[in-house]
Amino acid sequence: MELRFTLNDEARSVQIAPDAMLLDVVRSLGLTGAKEGCGVGICGLCTLVVDDLPVSSCIYLAALAEGRSVWTVEGLVARDPSLLVAFVEQEGLQCGICTPGQVVAAYTLKREFPNASENEVREYMAGNLCRCTGYASITSSVLVYLENR
Amino acid sequence: MSAGRAGPRMDAESKASGSTKYVADIELPEMVYAAVTRSGYPHARIQSINTSAADEMPGVIGTFRASDLAVRPYGRAVRDIPALAESKVRYVGEPVVAVVASSRLEAERAAELVEIEYGMLPSATTPEDAVASGAPLVHEAASDYVGAVITPQQGGNLQSVVTVGSRAEVDAALASSAYVVDHVYQTQAVHHGYLEPHACIASWHNARLHIWLASKAPHPLKAQISASLNLDPSEVVIEPITLGGDFGGKGSPMEAPLCAELSRLTGRPVKMVLRYTDDLIATESRHPSRIRVRMGADADGQLTAVAYDVLLDGGAYGGYKPSPHVAIHSVTEPGCYLIPVFFAECRTAYTHTVPKGHMRAPGGPQMVFATESAFDELALEAGIDPIEMRRRNILKTGDVDAQAAARDPLELGPRQWQEYRSIETLDAAVAAMRDHTHEVPEGWLFGRGIAAYGRGTFSYGTTTIRLAPLPGERLRVEVPYVETGTGSHNMVRELVARALDYSPDEVEVVQVTTDDLSFDAGAGGSRITSVASYAVDAAVKAWRGRLGDEAVQVTIDETAAPPVGSFIVQVAEVAVDPATGQLKVLELISAVDVANVVNEKAHQMQIDGGVVMGYGFACLEDLDEADGQVWAANLGEYKLPTARDVPSLRTVLVPGGRGHGTANVKAIAESLTPPVAAAIANAVADATGRRLRRLPITSEAIFAALAGPVS
Repeated sequence: MELRFTLNDEARSVQIAPDAMLLDVVRSLGLTGAKEGCGVGICGLCTLVVDDLPVSSCIYLAALAEGRSVWTVEGLVARDPSLLVAFVEQEGLQCGICTPGQVVAAYTLKREFPNASENEVREYMAGNLCRCTGYASITSSVLVYLENR
Repeated sequence: MSAGRAGPRMDAESKASGSTKYVADIELPEMVYAAVTRSGYPHARIQSINTSAADEMPGVIGTFRASDLAVRPYGRAVRDIPALAESKVRYVGEPVVAVVASSRLEAERAAELVEIEYGMLPSATTPEDAVASGAPLVHEAASDYVGAVITPQQGGNLQSVVTVGSRAEVDAALASSAYVVDHVYQTQAVHHGYLEPHACIASWHNARLHIWLASKAPHPLKAQISASLNLDPSEVVIEPITLGGDFGGKGSPMEAPLCAELSRLTGRPVKMVLRYTDDLIATESRHPSRIRVRMGADADGQLTAVAYDVLLDGGAYGGYKPSPHVAIHSVTEPGCYLIPVFFAECRTAYTHTVPKGHMRAPGGPQMVFATESAFDELALEAGIDPIEMRRRNILKTGDVDAQAAARDPLELGPRQWQEYRSIETLDAAVAAMRDHTHEVPEGWLFGRGIAAYGRGTFSYGTTTIRLAPLPGERLRVEVPYVETGTGSHNMVRELVARALDYSPDEVEVVQVTTDDLSFDAGAGGSRITSVASYAVDAAVKAWRGRLGDEAVQVTIDETAAPPVGSFIVQVAEVAVDPATGQLKVLELISAVDVANVVNEKAHQMQIDGGVVMGYGFACLEDLDEADGQVWAANLGEYKLPTARDVPSLRTVLVPGGRGHGTANVKAIAESLTPPVAAAIANAVADATGRRLRRLPITSEAIFAALAGPVS
């Protein structure tokens, strides 16, 4: 079937299988920032923005994105450079496999809860696992990003 | 050397923007994709395999069983892992049939259609069952495998046995001790929890095999693959990669021998990326343990003797670990006290369960949980404050650790540390504990617990690095190390930049292929910080002494460098609801004995990440193995700590220690995880009067303990 949607602000039309997941479609277009981790919508590695909300794209049917606006980490860091500045300066990463998902979640957090406290940041970001850092550096990256409003 | 100008991590921008490529992100022309059909039984004979339905599926290029492959059993030390199960399966999740198709989904869907008929066999799914007489054998002749350390006489289901000291001497010493405790502590199977599933690409090109594998140890991998496929090592190239988390779980050949053989048979590059469930049920996990500790003290609270009887669940294959002797670590890990009489017998058993491997401080979390819990129980028995009792017994500079040599049956090198900064570290932890209070909910119980850990920093094995000039007064450093996430490349960059007076921006550090530099043992045992700092010392010296503008390459082996040690003292502060057993870990304080810290942020993340991994082990994580099967088979069931779960973390660095090399460094990666569980168990005991000797310490476990008698 044909999927027409906006990807990183660019109108796209692609042929997809009816049961294809949005993650696989986006990755097949060369945007491999979003990763497959758990595959069951828990870990957050595959987080994408669909119409301003974060979704676990590994369990989000690509067909549901018809007519919607999808953003990936590649598009978001270009759209809002302060996102990258915050994660790089605060070094909110180690192995980096979860980082694109963390960055995408930080982006939607800022739109949904611009005045989030540290506890609220931790609550919101609980859908993005990290095994390396113990989260302190990621939390401070998000807080710095919120301050750069 | 000062901490210097840190600057942002060299890999931060590419990782945060999504441009860093991991193995799963790499596509090659003509690539095909593999998936496997896995065993649903812990122990069964393969009676027949029918692949006709799978063969007819769209996109399928071929189906392959063990008899189609020319692959010898492989492994890191013991070579006991078949690429596909041959006559029988030994755990739920073992690969039996491989399918190659033109897409990953086609391969996976076809693999589901493979019909395998099994004949059930009796299984031994716990180490206790496996070592009982008459137990069904996991391997008919385990001692025959290349690299096996077990003898035919020891036989049965044992992977390894290590015995240190004399049981009779320790029995006599305990019999004449004023106070003795004798308890059994048990730990569960936990997974490394790296978030990048295992991934492999194998490609034959110009008569050479190129491998991209999520692996932390390229040179050992090259040796293992060439042995398995009967190739000359020069025919194998391990390509540089970035690793999405390791923690010990990315050290084995994994699916590389299978993919290499599938690539040879199909004439195409073959890619195989596991689903996370496969990682949980069919890669490797930390060894579950059953540890009996007998510990004695005299009337003054001085230790008289310690005896361990350790039984570890090694799973169906031993080849996932770099030494079959995980038991060795069980002997060496708890060594932070002056122990006059020491005995340990550690057995690792083959079982019909998912293979077990090394994970961050192998053996440490198990043994330190048992040791530090027993130590508190002994202090209670002796009526001495646990902190004071640690102060009396912990190794101090000038102490001769008579057990150090005895605890080194593999003769890894001198174990007596140059200095023991135990009291400073203990004092720092206690001061941090006493400078604050916590608000505890009405009616909840508050408790504090302490645990200590002594960790050596070793510098084993050879390593080679190369410095080359780049145009524009820039410098390129070629290293054999995979960037696993720890920041090792960035550390090398900072060390070189400081020593040669470059800005970090003017230095690039790259991992090169196994063709480009000679053997390096890879990441493991927290060795990279120390070996890389020695290598940088040598390279800098060569660079300064060179005549023209040529590149320099150095190979070093500082295995004989005297090991330096670090002390870690942790305090857990907890609140427990006596009505429900609900546990809140309010704060985890870590006092850490350090030398010079190269990069403060990277160092702190290793500390925080290590503590949080210890917290997961202590309270949340459990693969829930039963009847030979992993039941927590996805990350919804298997509870990795989230940002919301982690307790308040506090670190107190105790600077001034003596480290390795000119850079004066100590390792940090594996130092923080082992003591966490005991600190929490001791805090829960302090709060409730109940002792939990089995992990994980869940609210349910505390509720049950509160409902039962005081033990």
